[in-house]
Amino acid sequence: MNIRVAKVEDIPGMQACNLQNLPENYAMKFWIIHAMTWPQISFVAEDHKGRIVGYVLAKIEEPEDETSPEIHGHVNSISVLRSYRRLGLAKKLMLLSQDAMTSIYRAHYCSLHVRKSNKAAIALYRDTLGFEVAKVEKGYYGDGEDAFSMRLSLR
Amino acid sequence: MSKLALQKKPLPSKEAGLFKELLTLYETRQLKKGLKTADQILKKFPEHGETLCMKGLVLTNMGRREEGIDLVKKGIKFDLMSHICWHVFGLIQKADKNYEEALKSYTQALRFDKENMNLLRDSASLQTQLRLFESLVEIRHTILRLRPNQRQNWIGLAVAHHLNGNLEEAKKVLEHYFYSLKNIPDYDVEHSEVLLYYISILEGLGELSLALTELDQSARSRTILDRMAILETRARILTKQNVSEADEAWQSLIERNPDNYESYRGYLTSQGITLDTPNPEAVAKLEEFVTKIPRATAPLRLLLNVSSGDKFKELIGAYITKRLEKGIPSLFADIKSLYVDEEKRKVVEDIADGLREKCALEITVSSEKDEDPSTHLWTLYFLAQHYSYLKQHTKALTILDFALHHTPTLPELLLLKGRILKRLGDFIGAAKYIHDARLLDGQDRFLNTKCGKYLLRAGMIEEASRIFGMFTKKDAPSPASDLQDMQSLLFMLEEADAHRRDGKLNMALKRYMAVKSTFDDFDNDQYDFHGYNLRKFTINIYLTLLKWEDRIRSHPGYVKAAIEASRIFVLVHDDPSAVSALQSTDNLTEAEKKAKKKAKKAEKKKVEEDKKAAPQPNDKDPDEQPKKDEDPDGFKLLGSSDPLEQAAKLLQPLQTLVPESTDGWIAIYDVAIRRKKLLQAIAALNRVHSLDPTHPELHIRLVDIKQRSESLAPSLSTQAASVFSETLTQLVPEGLSLETLNSQYLQKHGSDGKALLAVAKAMNILNAPQEELDSTVFGIVAEGVKVDVKTALSTVHFLATIKSQRVTEFKEACQKRFQQSTAFSSPTEIAELKKTVIRDSTIELTNGVTNEEVKAELL
Repeated sequence: MNIRVAKVEDIPGMQACNLQNLPENYAMKFWIIHAMTWPQISFVAEDHKGRIVGYVLAKIEEPEDETSPEIHGHVNSISVLRSYRRLGLAKKLMLLSQDAMTSIYRAHYCSLHVRKSNKAAIALYRDTLGFEVAKVEKGYYGDGEDAFSMRLSLR
Repeated sequence: MSKLALQKKPLPSKEAGLFKELLTLYETRQLKKGLKTADQILKKFPEHGETLCMKGLVLTNMGRREEGIDLVKKGIKFDLMSHICWHVFGLIQKADKNYEEALKSYTQALRFDKENMNLLRDSASLQTQLRLFESLVEIRHTILRLRPNQRQNWIGLAVAHHLNGNLEEAKKVLEHYFYSLKNIPDYDVEHSEVLLYYISILEGLGELSLALTELDQSARSRTILDRMAILETRARILTKQNVSEADEAWQSLIERNPDNYESYRGYLTSQGITLDTPNPEAVAKLEEFVTKIPRATAPLRLLLNVSSGDKFKELIGAYITKRLEKGIPSLFADIKSLYVDEEKRKVVEDIADGLREKCALEITVSSEKDEDPSTHLWTLYFLAQHYSYLKQHTKALTILDFALHHTPTLPELLLLKGRILKRLGDFIGAAKYIHDARLLDGQDRFLNTKCGKYLLRAGMIEEASRIFGMFTKKDAPSPASDLQDMQSLLFMLEEADAHRRDGKLNMALKRYMAVKSTFDDFDNDQYDFHGYNLRKFTINIYLTLLKWEDRIRSHPGYVKAAIEASRIFVLVHDDPSAVSALQSTDNLTEAEKKAKKKAKKAEKKKVEEDKKAAPQPNDKDPDEQPKKDEDPDGFKLLGSSDPLEQAAKLLQPLQTLVPESTDGWIAIYDVAIRRKKLLQAIAALNRVHSLDPTHPELHIRLVDIKQRSESLAPSLSTQAASVFSETLTQLVPEGLSLETLNSQYLQKHGSDGKALLAVAKAMNILNAPQEELDSTVFGIVAEGVKVDVKTALSTVHFLATIKSQRVTEFKEACQKRFQQSTAFSSPTEIAELKKTVIRDSTIELTNGVTNEEVKAELL
């Protein structure tokens, strides 16, 4: 599958892919804000017909206060259609995004949230990509499930 | 009104102070206090226009929108020369997404306060939204003149020139801007983006060498930080310049991201090698990459396109085997595009069949478990997809059932079975298997979504809603409401289609128009970015946003919704009694009445719960209040007094955005002819003719327009009439009777089911004898005629609309033709079948074939 930087025309496909796969969904404007603010760090995978089969939606968080003093990247959402799994698409999307976060924004680390029960995703982040669990956020998800807040140092 | 103040009397100091306070209170959203302050002023000065306007503005922000608007209108009349009044009016119109009117108000406001930054910026956004680029340039000039030290104002002017088509001026502005910059910090992302924008302008002007120099300089000095953009721009420019360094540039891109097919295409193209047909040069180059970058999958896949003969056999064998051993579900989807080449298709089939035999042999040889259960399974899965793609569905199902017997718990197998049954026209059976797949993993929304979709295709709308509801927000009034809020085009369109097939045109129209609203929202979304992207300095992406928004209604979702909605509008125009027929509650089934009651209850409950949720100390944002559905059953919409005008508006964008859509032009014709716009109608048919002169829908409309033109032509002016008749003659030869036209078309296309249906419909328009029409209709499912389930169902629908007595007979004929379909069963049979779709128990193979029988078939 073709993997490249997400363009504006990809957004409806990313939104549709997200709606099909995940219960955490966003209005069109949310996707547009990401593209307009950080146009270099979200990526898509498409099939030969140009349909979006996977994406990673990322943002950059500026340093805030003492609790969050470093600039870092954050993966807001990542998903691959079930019918396109086992191709390593999620890994490739993540690596491309992390690379852009580092080289353009000099992000110190990349963070994300993952459901405690999502073994497959946790394996990808922890074992394949090297993320570590930073903390548990109780009841983070809409249905009440806990999240692992995970981090990967990019420096 | 005698008090139109030509000279405004200023407020005395106490009230003037209160007014200033009022402005601040509004800005800080202290709306209740603002209201009180406004009333204080109005007690003494009830006709103070500006206070009335501000009070109105406050009210609209407190959910008292209509009251507020009335007050603003009142206030303006008292003070037509107040920039505050016009500004407020403009804000209200802007909030209503009424951008044209808002701009007028802002323009008025600016007359009385020429250098008001707020007004200027908002006007600039409005002008961009309305694509009025000449005026935009003027406004941006003014803004820059007033605040030359704000960097974004320079960018704003450059962008305005750019949008106005003047790249040269845009370039000059940016160069001036660069010249004036001081102390640019290191690693400044904003500056990096502006540089990239500048370079794209140079590219646009054709100044490629300069663009390249700038790019390389900035890359070296690390002022451009986006490495990917640097490499892409470099490769693109060098390719345009047709120089040898281009391939190095593409190579760098490949190294940075080996999964981007475009990079390989660029690389090969820059060396004059094609990727679109088999050739040894491409093979050689791609194999180099395979060696150099072993983790890259793109070159391996591209090799399959450019190789042939034995080389292809060798490569595809390795490609398929490796992926079947790994168990990759998307393998078939990946390589099926190769099947345009008949030879390649055969090779693939041979390889897969060979693998399957090898695996099957190992089963019979080994006494216990299969040697390679996984590979065998995925091979069977692949072969089933292969045969179904080639329309050998029975063979596909046999293979699939064997796999299912071995591994009943793999969702992919069940999904495939459902898909194959769908292709056979058994939508209910399909839904059953998709639901079985869903049962295997209740946490997977993908399976849930597929299940809901297949239930809708089977006409099980309520069940679909219940299934979707497992993943929608629990506090939403209904799953449909949440899915619409989250802009799920899939849901809106599929449910609309299901209602349409069910004859519930009110609900179908409601859902199609919800798609239309969604696209209106997409269009409005861009508004804030006219200012936002200037503040962020991300211009290149902003410009692509505008281009995308310009074409937003070319999206297939919009096109479909527009066409289907217009068909319903045309229908109710032709037969207004259809609306009242639908509306009588007697038509609702028991289940529907229950569901309606339940939904009403849920809505009521939600409204009460929201009321209970304590109001914040600050006034609640009206945007957050759940919008009440004013037309829950879509009857208001269906009963619109101007259906044709609404339809015309819906279809209008299609003319420029999807001129290749024959369905679009046919829909445009249907509306135009009924609005008596003859020239538009015939132009539409002309378009279809140039795209596809033998299109069945065109044929019907040609008969239609000739029939209607006799009575309509007199209404045209002589010039228009001559254009009309000339064009018509080109489409339908003069002196040819419509009956002859119809039989000629029948002669030419008698083996195509869609064409036969068109002939039948034309016969109906021409009041042909019943036997003729019937014989044509029954011919549609005769042997030797190419027809699909969809066309057969359309024919059933047609027979129903003309109140034919032979509908059941025809359905039986269809059943004989499409033996595995359930779409032509009787309503009672269908109701029974639907009951079997959703079950909670474990899976069983349902066709009772024994393992031995299947093995015999396969070996």
